[in-house]
Amino acid sequence: MQRRDFLRTAALLAGLPLLGGCRQVLGWGLPIDVFRPGMAAGHRLRDAASLPPPRGTRRVDTVIVGSGVAGLFAGWRLAREGYRDFVLLNGPEPDGNAAGGAFGEWRYPTGAHYLPLPSPESAHVRTLLAEMGVIEAGGASLRPTFDERVLVHAPDERLWRDGQWQDGLLPRGLGADDDAQQRRFLLHVKQLQQQHGTDGRRVFTVPTALASTDPAWRALDRQSFASWLAAHGYTAPGLLWYLDYCCRDDYGSTLAQTSAWAGLHYFAARGGHAANAEDGAVLTWPDGLAPLLRHMRSRIGAERQLPGAAWRIQMQGQQAQVDYVDAGGAQRLLARRVIVATPLHVAWHLLPSMRSLGFERAHLPPRAPWLVGNVLLDRFPQEPEQSTLAWDNVVYGSTGLGYVVATHQLIRVALPERTVFTTYHAFADAAPDATRPWLAAAGADALFELATQDLYTVYGARLRRHLLAARLTVRAHAMASPQPGFLANAGLAALRAADGPILFAHSDLSGLSLFEEAAWWGDVAARRVLG
Amino acid sequence: MRDRLLILSVFVVASCGLAYELIAGALASYLLGDSVLQFSSIIGCYLFAMGVGSHLSQYVKDERVLDTFIEIELLVALLGGLSASALFAVFAWSGESFRLMLYALVFLTGAMVGMEIPLVMRALNQRQQRFAELVSRVLTFDYLGALAVSLLFPIVLAPRLGLARSALLFGLSNVAVALWTCRVFRAELVRPTLQYLRSLLVLLVLGGGFIAADELTRWNEKAIYGDDVIHAETTPYQRLVLTRWKGDLRLYINGNLQFSSRDEHRYHEALVHPVLGALPWARRVLILGGGDGLAAREVLKYPNVQQVTLVDLDPAMTGLFARSAPLVALNGGSLQSPRLRVVNDDAARWLERHGEVFDAIIVDFPDPSSFALGKLYSVPLYRLLSRHLAENGLAVVQSTSPYHAPRSYWSIYATLQAAGLATTPYHAYVPSFGEWGFIIAAHRPGYTPPQAYRVPMKFLDREATRQMFFFPPDMRRWNVLPNELNNQILVHYFEQDWSQVIR
Repeated sequence: MQRRDFLRTAALLAGLPLLGGCRQVLGWGLPIDVFRPGMAAGHRLRDAASLPPPRGTRRVDTVIVGSGVAGLFAGWRLAREGYRDFVLLNGPEPDGNAAGGAFGEWRYPTGAHYLPLPSPESAHVRTLLAEMGVIEAGGASLRPTFDERVLVHAPDERLWRDGQWQDGLLPRGLGADDDAQQRRFLLHVKQLQQQHGTDGRRVFTVPTALASTDPAWRALDRQSFASWLAAHGYTAPGLLWYLDYCCRDDYGSTLAQTSAWAGLHYFAARGGHAANAEDGAVLTWPDGLAPLLRHMRSRIGAERQLPGAAWRIQMQGQQAQVDYVDAGGAQRLLARRVIVATPLHVAWHLLPSMRSLGFERAHLPPRAPWLVGNVLLDRFPQEPEQSTLAWDNVVYGSTGLGYVVATHQLIRVALPERTVFTTYHAFADAAPDATRPWLAAAGADALFELATQDLYTVYGARLRRHLLAARLTVRAHAMASPQPGFLANAGLAALRAADGPILFAHSDLSGLSLFEEAAWWGDVAARRVLG
Repeated sequence: MRDRLLILSVFVVASCGLAYELIAGALASYLLGDSVLQFSSIIGCYLFAMGVGSHLSQYVKDERVLDTFIEIELLVALLGGLSASALFAVFAWSGESFRLMLYALVFLTGAMVGMEIPLVMRALNQRQQRFAELVSRVLTFDYLGALAVSLLFPIVLAPRLGLARSALLFGLSNVAVALWTCRVFRAELVRPTLQYLRSLLVLLVLGGGFIAADELTRWNEKAIYGDDVIHAETTPYQRLVLTRWKGDLRLYINGNLQFSSRDEHRYHEALVHPVLGALPWARRVLILGGGDGLAAREVLKYPNVQQVTLVDLDPAMTGLFARSAPLVALNGGSLQSPRLRVVNDDAARWLERHGEVFDAIIVDFPDPSSFALGKLYSVPLYRLLSRHLAENGLAVVQSTSPYHAPRSYWSIYATLQAAGLATTPYHAYVPSFGEWGFIIAAHRPGYTPPQAYRVPMKFLDREATRQMFFFPPDMRRWNVLPNELNNQILVHYFEQDWSQVIR
């Protein structure tokens, strides 16, 4: 042992009182930053504070309001088709749920972190990926070839149960009945992947807009996933935990809260294949989906992206008028068409005329709050001998959704000297209305404890040795939860059909918060603008 | 006077007590890693054991206080003094029971040490010392002893004497206290002669141990590495151990043999010359890995090579091979050559971040024994590599053994092809490794092995080269899949291959 190491250890020991079992120890002395993207601007809008008169007016053919996936995709499509006369308002939450950040050179996601292999129906996403070079060949084929750097590297998933890791997320060793039910369920959804409705379309597709409208299958939306599972004899606790985890992870809701159609959609709609990866592989980058957004932004061009948050959108005769606020005060845009690419609860406050389009407040989809934690680590915590750190690491039975390793895709001779673990927590168990005030007021320590609960379960207090900093992102209105009946939402149908001066583009229109859905509605809106 | 000496013995006893604790902690973090955990748990266990010892001390009868004190000293001397050597031996010879032994030893030593101070205090108390003064003096010297050793141990003893000898030295101090107590308090002891004899016996054992400690340590490391360890170093990246046995130098990284000086020339000649012998015009050469400078030694034999860039992560490794005399003799001082540039960076990251193009690239990465290392044998890495390779240049990749690990070898071959490179496989017999394999990669097919070499060599000539490119029937190509990062099949192949070789 080196003398230096010894002295450092001795100093550490002198500074650290006995390491008890208390969880707070993880946060001691750690710089923790809390971000609540969009909260201040959103609440000002909700509280209808008054706006000073606009200082300038600019005319443009099309305005895109919002810079999440839908807005950027719309802009990308317009730019790709050679359409130039548009601007995009970044809004208070640039990149929306696909945003990322960085601790120096170490990037991480602050929202979504992967994209499934695009299904044959997701031609719009495939076009984007091919343009980026992520699809290297066969963009229109059943099995395109993907850039391996982006295909999730092995080992991709593991599950912590009873103090041990197992490969994959489906819990094993819970008895023959559980195993049998798991196999039966997987076979069941595999059949559903090929299930077609009476109209000849697949029953479950991404984007959902291309799914069959066969009422016999749509009837699944009238019950919860939990009751569908019970009716089909799926009772094994391991299987039910896994399905509940999937619903939380994708929709922020529990089995009982999720529409059976949406629950099955998660498994049956992902029909993507790759020439150089197994089915079920996903695409991921160190900072989640942010590189896709960077690419779309570069195509759109910086000159068309305006800082500032929309305040009011209304018709002035034949013209749509968008008032917004930026650092210089209030501004006005006059446009032939406006693509409202904000979440609908924001659109509700921006557009006094929502009702005239057939959309009522009751049509607003329920939204789940999320907490995304990013912790910067100095070297990697020691893993048990028989297991290797995977990309996605989940704790069985936890209310957390596990953690993802941001450096997983790096190709290195030695482990990188630093890494970022991203933890996810969906607040599915309490009513969102009760969770939000807590999230708005919660201190850094309380949020940190919640964000690191799975890390603490797995690594215990020894993780503290590796922690350098933490950044917590609170997304209190993160995503629409597809509750039973969401497919029959007449208000959403009206907005999806809107083809006047005001168009809508957001995954909320599908009721599912997926990249492909957001991109689809951005694409549809752009095509309507292009005519 | 006697009392004062008794107080002085408190100083020695306290020093020894803390020393055993530090030695156990240092040894555990040295062998097991995670030093905070090791130190915390050992200190905790030790302090608790001291409490148990203090508690037990009440059962010692008043008339036997000094006798028991001597017996305890001798026991502590044996347990503590031999602790480091014993633990090291257990670790070397039977890894499993190490933790059990460690905590058992720590507990026993702690319990004995815990009895010492109460016994001394009782001895002094019997001699009608004023209680307030007694407590104050005993504890003062107790803490002073702790201070002395906590400074002495990390700064002087551990680096100079090593852990085994430091422990033995403290054991001898305990014996000295026992002997001295026997002498001074002879009249008050119940069985003075017996205590004398015992003390002398322990003195003999520990003294012998102290003299033989080096031999003992060498014997233990021999159990781990088989040979004498002439250098051992734990860097932030890896553990480097250099052994020597009758002129055979061996380097182990994390316990895996990297080379043996007996036959490394075979490996490095086979790695370098089929490529450089075929590129008489090569000026710029890149070596990835190979921080031992041995591949560089072969490359620098070519006068046409103007600049060699060697990218190796660990500055400790390249530093060791640039300075240590026997190693410099081995690599011919290649790392000090003005034609060589050492870059201490992760080779894969360096490839990503730099755009230089080379006439020859020599890839000597670790075997694909883990998911992290398997990524170095992938289409994205080979594409990256090919971007650094001149239009007519050649790259060579160390590719495991086509004989012992045929799935792995041919999977690497298929992966290079999947990356769009033209490949030529070959192999050489390296006694330390067995039959070893390499693959030459180029932008275009048409590679032909050199017919003759212009540089001096021990292993390769025209006929040996011809044989390297011939694959006999038991080493024919296997039909295996290229490595894809999504499934890392190469890592599974590698495990499968070697699990059949090693029993």
